[in-house]
Amino acid sequence: MTDRASHSPDEAPPTRGWHRLWWVVAAVSVLGLGVVLTAGLRFEGTGEGAATGPATQVKDEAAAPLAGRTLDGGRFDLADLRGQVVVVNVWASWCGPCREELPLLAETARQWSGKGLSVVGLNVRDKDAAARQMLVETGAENLTVVTDPEGTLAVDWGVVGVPETFVVDRDGRVRVRAMGVVTRQWLDQHVLALVRS
Amino acid sequence: MNIRRVLALAVLVALLAAAGAALWRSAQDPHRDVAGRLASGLSCPSCAGETVADSRSPMAAAMRTTIDEQLAGGRTPEQVRDWFVQRYGPEIIADPPWSGIGALLWILPAVTLLAGLALAVRTATRPRSSSHTGAAHEPSTGTDEPAGGKDPAVTRRAWDVSALVLVGLVALVAVGAARTASEPNPAPPAERATSSPSGEVAERLARGSRLEAQAEFAAAAQAYGEAAELRDEPAIRLRQAFALLRAERAAEAARIARGVLVDLPEDPEALLVLGLAQRADGSPSATRTLRKFLKRAPEHPAAPDIRRLISG
Repeated sequence: MTDRASHSPDEAPPTRGWHRLWWVVAAVSVLGLGVVLTAGLRFEGTGEGAATGPATQVKDEAAAPLAGRTLDGGRFDLADLRGQVVVVNVWASWCGPCREELPLLAETARQWSGKGLSVVGLNVRDKDAAARQMLVETGAENLTVVTDPEGTLAVDWGVVGVPETFVVDRDGRVRVRAMGVVTRQWLDQHVLALVRS
Repeated sequence: MNIRRVLALAVLVALLAAAGAALWRSAQDPHRDVAGRLASGLSCPSCAGETVADSRSPMAAAMRTTIDEQLAGGRTPEQVRDWFVQRYGPEIIADPPWSGIGALLWILPAVTLLAGLALAVRTATRPRSSSHTGAAHEPSTGTDEPAGGKDPAVTRRAWDVSALVLVGLVALVAVGAARTASEPNPAPPAERATSSPSGEVAERLARGSRLEAQAEFAAAAQAYGEAAELRDEPAIRLRQAFALLRAERAAEAARIARGVLVDLPEDPEALLVLGLAQRADGSPSATRTLRKFLKRAPEHPAAPDIRRLISG
């Protein structure tokens, strides 16, 4: 039968040595590949941490139209807010991370109401009831929210996913875009600067 | 060559053929209609490697709706593509690039296939290893020595080198993909075009769409009506009729749908609108009309709901 103990002492040691080396190298590369892939995955998520804030793009282009029915049955048109700074926040009830920023946005809206800054939500591919429920749960019922059940308004804005936030200046131009959950620091840095200018 | 070798080779060849066929198929475009082909040509920006046509993500669905609306509004596929590029950047066009990292996406599977084929050939032509003869050599981790044939160390090294090169290539692609995904590309600074060359009509159609989305059906019908005055097409007329239906003006909707049926006697969309309008008016011919619609277009997205409506 096969006798595993019978490795003859005159088998070519150099070949064995090379062989072990290749195995080590192969194992290391597979491990390396694993590390690389995991590192790559880190860039996928948009909710990447309150510590670092959302991915931010600086822009300067005319805002797309934003007009429609609001969750409370009223009407909204971004054009009416020319002269104010407007924060447009794209969210949905099926978006977990959106839950984190709604209270902050609602508070910002309350604080700055009538003082040159408005906050409006864009509820995308969602149902009214679920959206209202989320606002209740996050204490954000004061938020003005435009409904976009087909998502076509969001596509006009170039939205890729949720949450996203756009900051529109007094002349109706988009100046900053965040892809991910916005933090208080982010709002201070990108929004209030525009308001005070 | 014994039967086992032949079978192993056959399995290998079959697998390789299947892999090759799958690769070829994935490069084909299954969509025949204009909207589907457009959607297959756009890559879903939030999903790794999927097209807008294939992706299940909500934004991809929103993009498909947008494509439908724009095409119905009279825009050409090129105009729709430009519209998307203005908003999402040129990277939204889904054709796999033939330069740089993208080329690896095509080369790597091809190389893997060829390597597999080479290995298959090598397996088939390699002389019998001594383990089959029952000699005292047992297959250990790498020092089996086939009687005759190539130098085992070289063979083994060739194996290992090619395996490592493959791993390296895959790692390179992974790094490249991670790198390109992590940089959000700013959209081009050019101003968005607000009116297309077929300006007047498209503008009214877009207004109609927007108004419909805002549940302003009467105003939407008005906008579609204006568009139809400029360009009297059945598709536009039917959008007007549908908006009128939703504005609870069934009689007018029915009139327009009948007008379309004069020119296109069996048009399913017209039958659908007419049937629904008749139903809204309580007319007894509604069921008959809706059944005709179902016969003409059993695969229509609204068909299941209509079936339920008729039987319920």
